[in-house]
Amino acid sequence: MTTIIPFGPQHPVLPEPVSLKLEIDNDVVVGVLPSLGYVHRGLEKFIDTKDYNQTLYICERICGICSALHGVTYARAVEKLFDVEVPERAQYLRVIWGELNRIHSHLLWLGLFADGFGFESLFYECWKYRESVLDIMEMTVGNRVIHSMAKVGGTSKDLSKEHIDLILKTLDTLEPKIKDIEKVFVNNYTVKKRLVGLATMSKQLAYEAGTAGPTLRGSGNAIDVRETEDWDIYRDLDFKPVVEKDGDCYARTKVRIGELYESIKLVRNAISKLPNGEIAVPIKGSPTGEAIMRCEMPRGEVVYYVKGKGTKNLERLKIRTPTFANIPSLLLTLPGAKLADVPIIVLTIDPCISCTER
Amino acid sequence: MGMLNLVLANVSRKPATRLYPFEIREPFKGFKGRIVFNPDNCILCGICQKKCPPDAITVTKTDKTWELNVFRCIMCTECVSGCPKDCITISNERAKTGTKEYIKILVPKSDTPKAASK
Repeated sequence: MTTIIPFGPQHPVLPEPVSLKLEIDNDVVVGVLPSLGYVHRGLEKFIDTKDYNQTLYICERICGICSALHGVTYARAVEKLFDVEVPERAQYLRVIWGELNRIHSHLLWLGLFADGFGFESLFYECWKYRESVLDIMEMTVGNRVIHSMAKVGGTSKDLSKEHIDLILKTLDTLEPKIKDIEKVFVNNYTVKKRLVGLATMSKQLAYEAGTAGPTLRGSGNAIDVRETEDWDIYRDLDFKPVVEKDGDCYARTKVRIGELYESIKLVRNAISKLPNGEIAVPIKGSPTGEAIMRCEMPRGEVVYYVKGKGTKNLERLKIRTPTFANIPSLLLTLPGAKLADVPIIVLTIDPCISCTER
Repeated sequence: MGMLNLVLANVSRKPATRLYPFEIREPFKGFKGRIVFNPDNCILCGICQKKCPPDAITVTKTDKTWELNVFRCIMCTECVSGCPKDCITISNERAKTGTKEYIKILVPKSDTPKAASK
């Protein structure tokens, strides 16, 4: 006989309200029914009342953690409508702040994940290091999490010489610290016991389930929008996607730790190649036509669809967020797992429910 | 053993946090703390009101007032970059606790607007 146990929307390990109805046989999950809709804010409809410049600030507020990249992706989508070329310096600045955003997002996730399997001191370590990245943001952009640095046509902030020195200095001190926590995540006996072989997805299954981001790359698929999308900057920066073959929770953790190093490398390369010049081009007129833009968020691939109607306000904005693509993988991996492992499996897709429901 | 080394090293380190009310960190130079409005050069054009994404600014030409709803303001600095007379600036100090929701400033008569850059 099976029992139905509600998991969430309020749960100690979940930062955000996802509700799963778990069908349990003894201690083993046999069926899952996710239900969403607790934090729907109607942002896609809300843009009707704002013009395309103001919409950027709404897009940044879709997600507090990956706000920089949401803003950049929206700005790039609208620039595609106008068919404008953004100055090269602005593109490099967007990459620098976007990758710093990814570092802080992954450190936040590693901390929450450590808390999820009951390793509280590791949680504090991760968040302590994340604070140094947030300090960079506060100094260079002016805000800790909602950065408001992108704007349609370029960026609204510039990096000075002191800022660049500060970023490089912080990254130099951050890298050995990440190596310290990497040792714990990768080699620690208890962590390995908890993660290895848990919720395994084969390469084919992860691809067919339409997963995105580290969940996809943890199963051996070398798909990263930073490499495949037509955004030339990343090709100049010597970017390689981080891939692990095993497809279990341990592999997904290793992908995210690997991406921390990759992001640090990208920021350093972008700073070394940062060209001089303008940071924004003026954009006038009203957008018409439609455009699609993709970007690699910390959690996976995001898709923006924008449609103009010849006025200042956009006619339609549609956003497909990475967690929306990753939730189906839960339905495939949770059956067969033990009830005590459910929080860890849910956390490994890095769920951002506020993104998903907008 | 990695974590044990980290924990033991942390024992001898200073705490990562501050004793907040007694020890206050200086705000960073570029920090967006609060909006400061200087009414001297204001021509009541209303561009800041139009640009403001959360509709926090209200400019009333008849009463000659400039009003900011501090609780709605999201510190995007659209008004700062949009102001043609550079009346709006941003300060790196946070607003004090207990700030009133609305800041209403009477703009002096703008019949003879002063030069913007002085």
